[in-house]
Amino acid sequence: MIVKANIKEATRSLIGAKQRTLLALIGIFVGIGSVIAMVSIGTIVQEEALRQFKEMGTDILTINKGYGGRGPDGTQRKSGTITLEIAENIPRYCPEIIAVAPYTSTYGTFKYEGKKWQGPAMGVTGSFIDLNKLKLKKGRFVSDLDEQTYFCVIGNKVEEKLRSFGITTMVGTEMFFQNKLFTIIGVIDDTPAGGMRPYEINEGIMIPIALVRRFEQGGEIQNIIARMKPEGGHVAASRQITDYFQKAVKGLAVRVRSAEEIINQMQKQMRLFTLLLGAIGSISLIVGGVGVMNVMLVSVAERKKEIGIRRALGAQRGDIQIQFIIESILLCMVGGLLGIGLGIGASYGISIFSKWHFAVSYDAILLGVIVSAVVGIFFGFYPARQAARLNPIEALRSE
Amino acid sequence: MITIENIHKTYQIGPLSMEILKGVNLTVEKGEFLSIVGTSGCGKSTLMNILGLLDIASSGAYFLDGKEVSDLSDHQHSETRNKKIGFAFQHFYLLSRLTALDNVGLPLIYRGMSERERRQRSAEMLKKVGMDHRQHHKPTELSGGEQQRVAIARAFVGKPSIILADEPTGALDTRVGQEIMNLFLQLNEEEGVTIIIITHDPGIARQCKRAVRMHDGLLREEL
Repeated sequence: MIVKANIKEATRSLIGAKQRTLLALIGIFVGIGSVIAMVSIGTIVQEEALRQFKEMGTDILTINKGYGGRGPDGTQRKSGTITLEIAENIPRYCPEIIAVAPYTSTYGTFKYEGKKWQGPAMGVTGSFIDLNKLKLKKGRFVSDLDEQTYFCVIGNKVEEKLRSFGITTMVGTEMFFQNKLFTIIGVIDDTPAGGMRPYEINEGIMIPIALVRRFEQGGEIQNIIARMKPEGGHVAASRQITDYFQKAVKGLAVRVRSAEEIINQMQKQMRLFTLLLGAIGSISLIVGGVGVMNVMLVSVAERKKEIGIRRALGAQRGDIQIQFIIESILLCMVGGLLGIGLGIGASYGISIFSKWHFAVSYDAILLGVIVSAVVGIFFGFYPARQAARLNPIEALRSE
Repeated sequence: MITIENIHKTYQIGPLSMEILKGVNLTVEKGEFLSIVGTSGCGKSTLMNILGLLDIASSGAYFLDGKEVSDLSDHQHSETRNKKIGFAFQHFYLLSRLTALDNVGLPLIYRGMSERERRQRSAEMLKKVGMDHRQHHKPTELSGGEQQRVAIARAFVGKPSIILADEPTGALDTRVGQEIMNLFLQLNEEEGVTIIIITHDPGIARQCKRAVRMHDGLLREEL
């Protein structure tokens, strides 16, 4: 009963002091808004980063050949060569693995009608498109039957470049890489970076892996992308691969990383990241809360006489304290609800701007509601206690 | 019924201690209409604050309806004020945001009474003081006399056993002051409530059944 009367009273009192209420509201509005925006953006970025991994599938592993150095036993690592045959034999000797896509990387000069630019080229097998989940825009991908033919598939950025030279039909066009003439047989659609994909896809060209031995350098297989069998365990798969290379290339130690492992790691980091963002947002929330406390203190000072009257009529200290705390909570809740709107709006704007997938984080909304109530109680407590502790006679006498 | 025995009140102002009440004795029977007169600064208001449990005597005993109340807790004092004491002040002390009806119902909130019952009882009380046509007006829309009527309704609404009125006609002109006095007399008759009026106006004091004079911290009967 008293609570209901108090809420009514608080509303009346807040509306009565419009300017003050508005200023305090702005503080809380911005405070809660920034917490919600930060947490939402944190969540969106996390989803975004994970999406790139999940897009390729959590059954993907990457195998990297180490760059010499010392092995775990302290001996000099042998830098044996991974041949195409060794790479392609992985599925036969590692039961957990069902497909592999070994590739080589090199960097060189492109040339088209006298115009030159630098870019990467990858020697790939036919399985490369599948394991990386690439989308073909035009033509076809490199096939293992191409053997040593000078064919290439170009990435999205290379297509843009050629288009700027006035080329409309990509497939069939010829261009130079390292002074060797290639015929374009296909175009790959814009591929989001990140995940376990090689970063060179958009910027470069993909050529049959058998060709790379004709280049002076970069002909060696450094990386292999592998897919596990469904429901496979990445720990067992990693061990099989490491064991396989130990035997196949005399003591060669390779580094195996699984998507699942990386995703788990990332999730851990992202949670910290979101927490950090939330903490940054909280700073403005504290500022807003201090604003509320200030407004409540002024409100108490201005209403000493009212407090005195209420005390004379039989209000307990607790009644007065609750009256002011409810006023403070109400102020913060209204500011908080508006702030949730602001936060979601801001995170929507930022995700549109950054081309991220926007999603409303319900956790963030719940957080906003709870936090604004807590701020209301916390920053309203001290002024309310001041009000409750007033001496009734002095309060009545004040003007 | 009120009985106070040998009430002392001393204020400490810096190194000085000032004795405002110097052993006041008073018994007020149920249903009495008493006035306390005296010059300003004689300790009338201090006595009223003590009677109203807004202040505590430095020493002495205070029996309200047969119960010693001076050493109760703040919580119990508030509760006693709420249930047994009604206040009327010189400057009315209505809350300007609230309507007459809600002002009258204020003491009932602290009894945890429902809004419906509060409104009903407040409306009845406003009718008794002749203000039922002004229920939904705010204090600023009322004249001084009307505001005091609302304040009196607020004092009576909780059916207290005593009413303490501190210069209730002090801010009103003579004619309106007399109307308020008549209202007190009428309510004293009808409700049988003990009323104690503090005033410096001999005309008001003369209309009370009994008057006591406060002088230099002591009380003496007026004849």
